[in-house]
Amino acid sequence: MEFTALFLAIAITMLVAWYGSRSLAYSLFAVVLIACVATFLHHATDALKLSF
Amino acid sequence: MTPTRAIALNVLALYVLAALLAGAFAAQLLLGELPCPLCLLQRIMFALLAVGPILNIRFGPRPSHYALSLLAAVVGASVSTRQVLLHIMPGDAGYGTALFGYHYYTWALIGFIAAIVLLSLVLLFDRQFEKAPTAHPTPGVIAHVAVCFVIGLTAANVASTLLECGFKACADDPVVYELLKR
Repeated sequence: MEFTALFLAIAITMLVAWYGSRSLAYSLFAVVLIACVATFLHHATDALKLSF
Repeated sequence: MTPTRAIALNVLALYVLAALLAGAFAAQLLLGELPCPLCLLQRIMFALLAVGPILNIRFGPRPSHYALSLLAAVVGASVSTRQVLLHIMPGDAGYGTALFGYHYYTWALIGFIAAIVLLSLVLLFDRQFEKAPTAHPTPGVIAHVAVCFVIGLTAANVASTLLECGFKACADDPVVYELLKR
């Protein structure tokens, strides 16, 4: 679900970058980037299933 | 490098990113391999990389636009490095099909590193940031098509990810589209 939301947010950011204002596109980009890093950290802290 | 040439390079970059996103989609649909959460995150970072070129084409080249793409490429490289390290143990077959000997996440890492190097090289050319005596030219048809391609592919990923994950967290090793399950 979080990935669907991220793709949707990026599509909106692209539309704003193309049709809207630069400052709003910057703000949306910052929000999406922070959300991506948070999602990555969530997955990066999963326990690794190593067998050695 | 003149602003016009810089914009042409940015249009080319958008076509490359559109081809990457289309290639990932083709692998998903033709080989029937559903992308894992980290694979989806790498696609997301490639899509986010496109925001910088879109701004450069629309408002003219600026260092801050390139900075956005650099940030996206660094996060993307971190994500793909994490996935490479997950499968680095001897005997591990990796996730998904290999293409020319490398898995998609390895190609993604190479792609993100190439993007960081290329963006740094383009930033070396200061003349593109000089104010032109005439107003910034309006983007042509080729630029419009490139932007439409990238936005369309990102929108297609919204639909595909919704079908794959449904309204809950995506499976670590997805094999079926959650919303198409009977």
